Amino acid sequence: MDRPENRVALVTGSGKGVGAGVVRVLAKNGVKCCINCNSNPQMAEKTLQAIQEAGGEAFIYQADITDDAQLTAMVEAIVQRYGRLDILVNNAAMQPNRFIDEYDADSLRRLWEINIGGYYRSVVKCLPYLRKSDRPRIINISSIHGKRPTGFDAGYAMTKGAIRMFTRELALELLPDGIPVNAIDLGGCRIEFKTGNQPFTSHSPLDVQNPDMKARPRLIVPDEVGELVWYLCSPAGEALNGDGIRVDRGAAMT
Amino acid sequence: MEKKTVIITDLRSREARDAQAYLEGLGYRVVAVPETVPLWDENALSSFAEPYRNQLCGVLHPAPPRILGGIDTVTEEDWLKAREEGPIAAFAVAKVFCGIMRDNREGSMIFLNSIHAEKPVGKGFLYSMGCGAVQMLAREINLDYGTDNVNVFFVQRGITEDDLSSRSDVSSLYCGVDMRYPLRKMPDQGNLNGLLAFLLTPAAQPLSGSDLRADGGMTMFYTHRHKVEGRAYYGST
Repeated sequence: MDRPENRVALVTGSGKGVGAGVVRVLAKNGVKCCINCNSNPQMAEKTLQAIQEAGGEAFIYQADITDDAQLTAMVEAIVQRYGRLDILVNNAAMQPNRFIDEYDADSLRRLWEINIGGYYRSVVKCLPYLRKSDRPRIINISSIHGKRPTGFDAGYAMTKGAIRMFTRELALELLPDGIPVNAIDLGGCRIEFKTGNQPFTSHSPLDVQNPDMKARPRLIVPDEVGELVWYLCSPAGEALNGDGIRVDRGAAMT
Repeated sequence: MEKKTVIITDLRSREARDAQAYLEGLGYRVVAVPETVPLWDENALSSFAEPYRNQLCGVLHPAPPRILGGIDTVTEEDWLKAREEGPIAAFAVAKVFCGIMRDNREGSMIFLNSIHAEKPVGKGFLYSMGCGAVQMLAREINLDYGTDNVNVFFVQRGITEDDLSSRSDVSSLYCGVDMRYPLRKMPDQGNLNGLLAFLLTPAAQPLSGSDLRADGGMTMFYTHRHKVEGRAYYGST
C-alpha cells in the first residue's frame, strides 16, 4: 500500500520561504523530505528543527541546482537514504527586481539558468526515480507573472512564462509515464525575505488603485502553498495535469 | 520625412522571407539583420541599427527554428542554443530596437511567434518554453515602452509545414490538420502578411500589448469533427 510514510519528496529551495512551507506540510503528513538549500543553511536548520519537533522526517542537502554535479549528488543522496523518490517540487528561484535597462545578456542568462534551468535539470535527474514510483508527482512553483506582466522585472516574468510552457509540455510528454505535472502560479506571498533589489518601484503608478476598496486580499502564507502541494500529491490530485493554479486569494481580479 | 524602414531580425523562416517581400512590395525599405550579427549581442545590434535610427518604423522578430527533442533526449548544446536564440536574443532585440523607437516616439515591435506559446505538443519543450518567455517579454515591454508610443504585438501564427514534420506521439494537434480549420485548409501566408503590414501602422495602436492568434481558427477545434453528407457530427477517428 502506498502510505504517505513511504513517500519521499525533494523540494528545491526549501530552507526558507515558500519551499519551507511545502516541506513543513509534506513532512507533517508523513512524507520524508529533502530540504534543499544553497545560500542560507542557517534558515534550513530552523526549518528542519520545526519539522523534527512536529515529528516529521527530513534532512538538509546544500546544493546549487544550476550545477549538474551537485544536483546529481543530491538526488543520489536522497535515494541512498530513503530508497526512493516520489515527488519533485521545483521551487528554487530568484527575483532580481531589475528594470529592462538594468539587465544585460549575462544577468539574464544567470537568471534563466536558476529559474528555469534549475527546474529542467532537476526533472532530468529525478525522472528515473519518479518513473519507478507508484504515485509520482512533479509540481513547479511559479508565479502569476507567467501570465501577467510585472512592470518591474521583465527577466523574471520571462522565466515564469517559460515555466508555464515547460509545465504544459512536460505534462503531455510524461502522460505515458503517468506522471502529472502542474504549476502553482503564486501571487504575493509573505516570506522572510526575497532575493533581489529591495525596495523597488513598479512602473505601474500607484494612483490607479482604488482608495475606496473595502477589502484587499491578504498575502498568501507558505504553508497554504504546502497544503495545495499536498492535495496535488493525493490520489484526487491526479485529475489535474498541465495546469497552472493561481493562488493569490483573488488579487489578480481586483 | 516619414519613417519607412522595417528591420527583420532573422530571415531563416519562410514566413520571414515572405513578409520581407510583401513589405517591400508595399514600399517599405526592409533590412535584415545579417547572420554575422549575433542577436543576443546588444552592442553588435546597436552598431547595426545605428544607420537606420531615424527611419525605423518597425521591427519584426520571428521565432527561431524549432529544436525538437524530449526531456530525455535534448542535449546541453540544444539547451544553450534554445536559450540564446530564444529568450536571450528576443530580450536584446527588444532592448535595442524599442530603445530606438522610444527615442523616435513611434514604431511597432512585432514578435512573429507561435501558438506554442500557449499550446503544447509534447515534443519540443525547449521551443515552447522560449515562446512562453517571449510572450511575457512582449507584455512587459508594452508596459515599459508603450508609454513612449512604441506599439508591441505578439503574433501567434498557426502551425507551419515545419511543425507538421514533427508529429508528436502524445498529442493530436498536428493530426487531420485541414479538418481543424473552419475553411478546411491551412491559411496562406499572404493573409498573415496583411496583418503584419497593418500592425506597422498607427491604426494598430489600440491593439498594442495584445496577443494576436493568427491561426485560422484551428485552436478552437475541440474534437474530431467531420461533415458527412451535409451533416456535422463528432466522431472518434
